Amino acid sequence: MVLAVFDKIGAAVLGATDTFGDFAVLAGRAFIAIFKRPFDGKNLLNQFNSVGVNSIPVVVLTSLAVSMVFAVQLAFGFRQFQAEGLASQVEGLAVMRELAPVITGLMLSGRIGSAMAAELGTMQVTEQIDALECLATDPIQYLFVPRLLASMLVVPLLTIVSVYIGFWGGYLILVGVEGQSAYVYGHEFYKLLAFRDLRIAIYKGLVFGMIIALVGCWKGYRTEGGAEGVGNAPTSSVVTSSLWILISDFFLTKLLLV
Amino acid sequence: MPVIDVVNLSKAFGPKVVLSKVNLQVEEGESLVVLGGSGSGKTVLLRNIMGLLTPDSGHVAVEGKIIAELSREDLFTVRQSIGMCFQMAALFDSMTVFENVAFGLRRHHKMTEDEIRARVEECLGMVGLKDTDKLKPAELSGGMKRRVGFARAIALKPKILLFDEPTTGLDPVMTDVIGRIILDLKHELGVTSITITHDLKSAFEIGDRIAMLFRGECIACQAPADFKANPHPVIQQFLRGDADGPFLQDPPPPKRNPQEAHA
Ligand SMILES: Nc1ncnc2c1ncn2[C@@H]1O[C@H](COP(=O)(O)OP(=O)(O)OP(=O)(O)O)[C@@H](O)[C@H]1O
Ligand SMILES: [Mg+2]
Repeated sequence: MVLAVFDKIGAAVLGATDTFGDFAVLAGRAFIAIFKRPFDGKNLLNQFNSVGVNSIPVVVLTSLAVSMVFAVQLAFGFRQFQAEGLASQVEGLAVMRELAPVITGLMLSGRIGSAMAAELGTMQVTEQIDALECLATDPIQYLFVPRLLASMLVVPLLTIVSVYIGFWGGYLILVGVEGQSAYVYGHEFYKLLAFRDLRIAIYKGLVFGMIIALVGCWKGYRTEGGAEGVGNAPTSSVVTSSLWILISDFFLTKLLLV
Repeated sequence: MPVIDVVNLSKAFGPKVVLSKVNLQVEEGESLVVLGGSGSGKTVLLRNIMGLLTPDSGHVAVEGKIIAELSREDLFTVRQSIGMCFQMAALFDSMTVFENVAFGLRRHHKMTEDEIRARVEECLGMVGLKDTDKLKPAELSGGMKRRVGFARAIALKPKILLFDEPTTGLDPVMTDVIGRIILDLKHELGVTSITITHDLKSAFEIGDRIAMLFRGECIACQAPADFKANPHPVIQQFLRGDADGPFLQDPPPPKRNPQEAHA
């Protein structure tokens, strides 16, 4: 009875270690493959397009919505202490440090991570990845690297876009609705921020981009079992990468903010 | 030294033993045809040779190098000299037919765009698909996909070619064309090849030797004339194409005589 429980726990731990080990090995191979020839510029450009350009609307809309609703909450909250002036400072702090990177990361894990998992998953079950292998092309280099690079560049960039949109989202509410002075808002938004905060936001974007691409590609690459497998890959990639984005956000904040 | 040397190869998926102690040697410039019932492990054999699967025991050596023991770099070097034609074609569906056939050329050869175009058109012309180069795989019929897969495998002019049922689903005329191309490659370029097929006519045309897989074992591997004369009941039943005999595990449905069937 007790042994059976230990058995189960042991099996679960072993399973988790296996999975993580597999991910780590593939991720390592992907990073090594970045420096290998031949470098596939055309493929990379395609990825920039599908990963970057097409994600702008999603990021703009979600950042606007979140920053606006946050500003409404802040205005309401600080009014209770007659401290409306603080709302714009806190808005700036929240947008730059947490909202922009995390919202961008989560949205893109749904937008591009899942697409990567679905695409590679389909390639896996239709033997296209085997065909790549047979044409002496490393699928890690051919498929993972462009997606990883594109995502590591695009997520930080979109994080900056998100900060910028966040500024205007707060502006709409605090200046437009609450009637604060536009000049003061523009000033106060950045008051509690230093250049370091922008750097941290970019680091976070970089790490989130890495997580999104690696988890998406890994889940796709390890797809098995036909249509059902292809259906599960994106879901599981979004769940896993969102989880890791939130966990790593905590540690990045802890580490970088001190 | 044989170019492809399969030694005591065993492979099982879970409890299901697919190959057990298979031995096959293919000499340079030789064309081996592998026959066998559906599900007898022919594809699994090719995937082991390509290094897409690792053997449970035994090994496969290509040009003296044991595939399962190579580093990834060395494996890719070996694979550059092997062309593989998949049973389900496995075309890259995000690329056009032209890009599919040109894929290997672009990655492994320092060819100019004109040379690549010429080679791709030559290969597509051989399999009767000259005007399809701008189509996507989704716009092709099953047989057309298979021929594009065939063209992609031979485009690089590899020394070794592995064909997994290149003619299944093609009309008899096209089947003959594919058979002729395989023979041409052998005579002109000295290509070593393994062809899996269910088409007995082309098997006897193409093969220098014919091997037969049955229940995970290689029960014969000999010249076509000897193979035809092989007294093994399974082989004789296979050649007759008759449902009655030791080939099937479960007894087939009873046979009706023709009058009854057409009445
Ligand atoms: N990845 C796999 N996982 C589990 N079983 C497999 C796998 N691949 C093949 N098999 C099993 O191995 C056996 C042989 O399969 P294989 O594809 O080699 O058959 P085949 O000889 O090529 O048949 P066909 O002529 O129909 O193509 C089958 O019974 C199949 O169920
Ligand atoms: Mg097969």
